[in-house]
Amino acid sequence: MSKFSHIYIEERAAAYPVAQHVLSRFPGSIRVMIRHYKDVFNRPHQDFRRQKASTKLILAVKREPFLYPGPEVCEDFGNPNFYYTSPVLNCVYDCDYCYLQGLYPSANIVIFVNIEEFFKAVDRQLESGPLYLCPSYDTDLLALEGIVPYASRWIEFAGTRQGLRIELRTRSANYSAIAGLNPVEQVILAWSLSPHEVARRYERLAPPLKARLTAIKAALQDGWQVRLCFEPLIKVHNWQQVYREFLDEVFSIIPAERVFDANIGVFRMSKEQFKRISRLRSDTDVFAFPTVCREGGVVTYEDEKELRDFFYQNLNRYLPEEKIYG
Amino acid sequence: MIYIVTALPCEATPIVKKYDLKRDDACRHFTLYRGDDMFLIVSGVGKMASAIATAYLIAQNVKLDEAGAEEGLAIINIGVCGTLHQRYPIGTPLLIHKVIDHETGKQYFPDILIEHPFEEGSIETHNDVVRREDVLSGRVELQADLVDMEASGFFQAASRFLAPHQIYVIKVVGDYLDVVDFDRQRVAQCISGALDAVDGFIKQVEGLCRVEGEVLTPDERRQLEKVKESLRLTVTQSHQLVDMARRYKLRTGRPLPDLSEFAQTRVKVKVEGRKALERIRRLLLYE
Repeated sequence: MSKFSHIYIEERAAAYPVAQHVLSRFPGSIRVMIRHYKDVFNRPHQDFRRQKASTKLILAVKREPFLYPGPEVCEDFGNPNFYYTSPVLNCVYDCDYCYLQGLYPSANIVIFVNIEEFFKAVDRQLESGPLYLCPSYDTDLLALEGIVPYASRWIEFAGTRQGLRIELRTRSANYSAIAGLNPVEQVILAWSLSPHEVARRYERLAPPLKARLTAIKAALQDGWQVRLCFEPLIKVHNWQQVYREFLDEVFSIIPAERVFDANIGVFRMSKEQFKRISRLRSDTDVFAFPTVCREGGVVTYEDEKELRDFFYQNLNRYLPEEKIYG
Repeated sequence: MIYIVTALPCEATPIVKKYDLKRDDACRHFTLYRGDDMFLIVSGVGKMASAIATAYLIAQNVKLDEAGAEEGLAIINIGVCGTLHQRYPIGTPLLIHKVIDHETGKQYFPDILIEHPFEEGSIETHNDVVRREDVLSGRVELQADLVDMEASGFFQAASRFLAPHQIYVIKVVGDYLDVVDFDRQRVAQCISGALDAVDGFIKQVEGLCRVEGEVLTPDERRQLEKVKESLRLTVTQSHQLVDMARRYKLRTGRPLPDLSEFAQTRVKVKVEGRKALERIRRLLLYE
């Protein structure tokens, strides 16, 4: 069945302009009124894999809290007040290693329609000092821009606030959706990049590396601050050569001197999520290389340091030390 | 495997005929029919009866020791229903996307992941027969398109065992809440008329619920069993062995290497088993 064949709408969400906008994008979808998004999203025994083949939309109203402290496993890029927020839950892409599979009970996409309340929460937080906020962690806002224009809403909002810095992380090549906006100093467009071999094998539905690089080049030319996120680094056969050639390809297209910064993150995941996902994913070899559980209950590769150091040395050929995090 | 729950014998009869199901006389508590890939149980009227029969059907027949047994089945509540809306002609089959329990107000949602030939609608399950005049006079307030007496009990019981994409409710419009004399033949006709569409739907559901083949072949599993025994592996070590073997095959795309050396080793103390497992680990994960 096609994507978004059904749209579940919380009764209180229906009147919001964002809900009306989303519904207007899918006139043929079956609309089902619901009391609370968790009645659908949190049903027991849902099959994440099968749902990915026919994802539904859920329109809901988010209640407090709107902002969450940044997780320790995520890079704060030297920003002291690091928070994330989730105006959308889940992603249109289907990456084999994605932690969302172990985080949420459902593959359906929840869009919280009360975006203005998210903004108010940010304003309240800004009263106590500068804020570094990531609203595209548990989703990919740029990829969803054609359905709900939240990437542009966050950019426009950030442009009017002092002390706020926003990172919009994406795997999308959909830069054209925001190309009409003026670059905003408070916003960093952060592209997750993987070698062609990793993207082809493990990032189903995500655009190929070349398309992402083209989008990045266009964003840089327009004057946006662009971050390159090399995470998760996934081990594949002959990974040294794969990652060396990958970096050569990236910087043959992207002018290194114009990159704002970059980060490196070897594949890692909480023990609980890893266990859950390993059980779910008997159809992939993405976790086939030996892993260990480190202190703090984080699962990563046995030779994680070797992979990280190798990648760092090669990235350092293009970017100076002070621009590389992680 | 498809499980079907109907409330009435006259709802069951057309299905029993179509799929050539045979009565299971060994079942003393319910009227139960069996076919090659299908069970049908007649629950009796009411949500409690439906819940009991549904739970019985699943619990009695799912072999929990068989890998994927639960995952590979789907259960469907098929029956007639009433509606106030004349826009649904008598005999219209609907696939239900929302079940409301009138008494508790609780709502249940099947996961509709497949293409199907039906119009979709919501249904409200009541404890008693709902009459047109009750609704028109405001004594009963309806929140759904359709009315029945089983769906919420069925759904609640089934979702205890199964995923929401394995649970379906198909209701055929049988009346406009204006039944005076219950006509079994008419009910059977309503169900019969929907059976071609139901049959196509069942095939789709079977496809959706099919369990993917196991990565390890039966021979490889047997080989691993022998290794487990001869190395006297603990339960955790045994899981690790199977997991490593599975990963090896996924990663390399090749059959498992020959482990007969380990299957023939007789370890006397557990530490020897641990050492042997470490050698297997190197063989499977580092090659």
